[in-house]
Amino acid sequence: MSGYPVLTVATFLPLAGAVVTLFAGGGRRARWIGLVTTLATLAVVAPLYWQFDRGSTALQFVETAEWIPEWDVAYGMGVDGISLPFILLSAVLTVLCVTVSWKAVKTREREFYAALLVAETAMIGLFAASNLFLFFVFWELMVVPMFLLIGVWGGPDRVYAAVKFLIFTLAGSVLMLVGMIALQTACDTLDFKALVLARDALGSKEQAWLFAAFLAAFAVKVPMFPVHTWLPNAHTEAPTAGSVILAGILLKMGAYGFLRVSLPILPDGVEVFRTFLLVVSVVAIVYGAYVTLVQTDVKRLIAYSSVSHMGFVTLGIFTLNQNGVEGAVLQMINHGVISAALFLCVGMIYERTHTREIADYGGVGKVAPAYASLLALFCLAAAGLPGLNSFVGELLIIGGAFETGAWFGALAIWGVALGTAYLVWLYYRVVMGATKPKLQALKLELNARELATLAPLALLAVGLGLHPETVLSFLHAPVAELLSLGAGP
Amino acid sequence: MIAFVPQADQLVTGADLVLALPELILVVASLVLLLLARGIRQSPVAGRVTVVAALAAGAASCWVLSRGATTGFAGMFAVDGYAQFFKVLVAAVLVVATLVARKTIAAEKIPHAEYHTLLLLAATGMMLAASSLDLLTLYLGLELMTLCSFVLVGIAVDRPASNEAAIKYFLLGSFASAILLFGISLTYGITGATDYATIAATLAERSLSESPLLFAAIGLVAAGLAFKIAAVPFHAWAPDAYQGALTPVAAFLASGSKAAGLAALGRVTLVAFGPEKDFVTPVLVVLAALSILVGSVLALAQTDVKRLLAYSSISHAGYALLGLIAGTPDGVSATMTYAFFYVFMTLGAFGVVIALGKRGESLDGYEGLAAQRPVTAALMLVFLLSLTGIPPTAGFAAKFVVIVAAVREGHVVLAVLAVACSVVSAFIYMRIAVLMYMKEPRQTAPARFPVALTAALALAALVTLIGGVLPGSLAQWAVSP
Repeated sequence: MSGYPVLTVATFLPLAGAVVTLFAGGGRRARWIGLVTTLATLAVVAPLYWQFDRGSTALQFVETAEWIPEWDVAYGMGVDGISLPFILLSAVLTVLCVTVSWKAVKTREREFYAALLVAETAMIGLFAASNLFLFFVFWELMVVPMFLLIGVWGGPDRVYAAVKFLIFTLAGSVLMLVGMIALQTACDTLDFKALVLARDALGSKEQAWLFAAFLAAFAVKVPMFPVHTWLPNAHTEAPTAGSVILAGILLKMGAYGFLRVSLPILPDGVEVFRTFLLVVSVVAIVYGAYVTLVQTDVKRLIAYSSVSHMGFVTLGIFTLNQNGVEGAVLQMINHGVISAALFLCVGMIYERTHTREIADYGGVGKVAPAYASLLALFCLAAAGLPGLNSFVGELLIIGGAFETGAWFGALAIWGVALGTAYLVWLYYRVVMGATKPKLQALKLELNARELATLAPLALLAVGLGLHPETVLSFLHAPVAELLSLGAGP
Repeated sequence: MIAFVPQADQLVTGADLVLALPELILVVASLVLLLLARGIRQSPVAGRVTVVAALAAGAASCWVLSRGATTGFAGMFAVDGYAQFFKVLVAAVLVVATLVARKTIAAEKIPHAEYHTLLLLAATGMMLAASSLDLLTLYLGLELMTLCSFVLVGIAVDRPASNEAAIKYFLLGSFASAILLFGISLTYGITGATDYATIAATLAERSLSESPLLFAAIGLVAAGLAFKIAAVPFHAWAPDAYQGALTPVAAFLASGSKAAGLAALGRVTLVAFGPEKDFVTPVLVVLAALSILVGSVLALAQTDVKRLLAYSSISHAGYALLGLIAGTPDGVSATMTYAFFYVFMTLGAFGVVIALGKRGESLDGYEGLAAQRPVTAALMLVFLLSLTGIPPTAGFAAKFVVIVAAVREGHVVLAVLAVACSVVSAFIYMRIAVLMYMKEPRQTAPARFPVALTAALALAALVTLIGGVLPGSLAQWAVSP
């Protein structure tokens, strides 16, 4: 193990970068500070991939310190096999957010990169937190930079989207605050591991209430049907970097919360709500997919596809079996890679065409072959083509769903079929056919910076597809432990 | 007991006066300013004297306590951690309120000496209220504060709005004072005493829980004190008074008089009426729930920022009461923490309003502020986030600790109501953030601020941020009586 508090450094390095940006980031310097900071953060967390002991279920790289002893609140960091992949993904995606915004963001660059870096602190901190208080602090901290990213640098309807995002997420998270306080009152601790041991202090009824309180927060973030309505607005109006963070990481926070809080600490609550959540997940998959089919705005289409894809994740989590949960976590990573890549693709072409209407596109493949190939790769990956990453995740989830109930599995497969339909149709409308006259005049082909931005995600899409054990090897032990702790299927 | 004929051991001695050193410093400073009033009408020296006096009074309160906790003036005056906490807080309010006021009172041609004399005397009353162990001392302290506040609200004699606000505040305020006094007299009638210890002992000894007179006494005292912190349904004066008053005066009222009122309520409910907790708690629950709900919802409709902040202060009074509802030392300590952080974030928000001058008083004025004055907008954002209660700002720590106190005592429904209303208020505060960051500026950039104002804003922001990250040391210091 490394000799310095690596998780703390990884968490607060971006924050330090944000402060430097605010004070010294005038003009063009801001993006350079952003790039250096995100790369440095990536360099800090990357070695954890090799140093992490995958056989162990214990928290690793643990750091604890006194924080607010008067309130029995400690500072605690530590990762297990479920959280580490998200930290790595956050670090990778933030670098790409900087490079994709390099030319796209022209106003108030200083504040933009500062907000982006604060968001990175919140993301890494949230996944590294080993107690609920710290988790909550980062959870709330995340809202502020996202609110600004959407509202200041977003599209035409950005203010409405930003406020809607803020109110939805806050409405959920304040109930989590009460839940957290009730949990602390009953169990005298907020440490995740200690809470599992202390959960007997809660009666079944209390667990159900607490589960409902946390569900409010997590369901909004995932987002689950029917509280997903903020997502299409937020994703569509956000600047590319904002969409990437929203789709890539922020949506995963809710699902991660289920795995970290609801499943291990409130098993009786899970028992009460499980069927409801399975049904809601399947509704999200199928309904989300149908709504995606009819979208005419590229970004909105990808946004709605996230609703459907996150439905797979929650379906997998609440199957409560090894396949389903492992598949859910893997699919969270996959979706983080692919939806981020799709938003990057859309953002890059939007910079040139300034339209998001699918009808304005057509025949892009002829003028931008490299772009068309990469888009094809990501669309196929999102559709779950064997050999690419989503296939494995969806397969595991559907396998798990069949163990739980045949209908869930069957409807999930229907969701996959619809997913293939909307993605292929999108690709057909944008890339194939005769090139629209307006597009002829534009230089649509990607430049080196943009190719370099997409390349890591393309590699991940192929690499995780061919060798899913890269992520799965982290998950076997902690997921098995999680299921042995929580309510059985 | 009220001693109509002073006994030998009840005469005021030199030792008693030493205990009241913080108050005496403020009084002496105010008298000096009055003597010099004609000479320094338009000179900033009065403000400097006030700041120095406030700092000295804050230091004196620490020094007095360092000699050991005790009581003086025949047991009517406490020197303890609780009193010292609020005295330091009042001193801080005085410093910040003086620093933010300078530009405004110069612009409005308010006589410096008179303004600061009133400010000093009001602060004296606040400190006295924090130290009082007797309902009569409490009344004296609160009345000193309130009478000075009436004049401060109306001090801009050329402005009709200011006069109107002062009259409204005065009429309602004197009514509330009468109610408080009536409650005190009923309490005296029932228990035969006005000092907290004897009241508590009598209440504990004789089971008066069934006596309707006692209900009336507690209800009237609580109503009188609720007026001071502008808790619903005794809040009607606040929006008009804040809107009509000069902004620095509104800031002083929203922070200082609220802190003093909470200090008084804390000691009265926990010490004097502690044995009647079963009756005090429901009264406080109603006050808190109504304040939070009404304050948050009515703030939605405001376009005048001072009115908006007035309704915000009403809902914050409700949050602060959540700690007192618990009726435990931990709960009172939570309310103290809340009061402390609330004071700084409110002063900060008012400070930005003052800094922007006329422009700051209506919501439209905030359009595009971030593009014109990025630092001011960022400070305002910090204060707004803190008022909303988003970590890592002090407002979150404050909200957390009072909700913990409420949930520990089983008031989960109230806690849920409180956090639900905080979403409503988030919408209000973030509307200002939206205007600052997401709209194009339509008015000319505000002029540069004086150094004093910048210093005050920096101090408020520092407390708001450090308090959010490391609230522990304050929690240690906030000891209940």
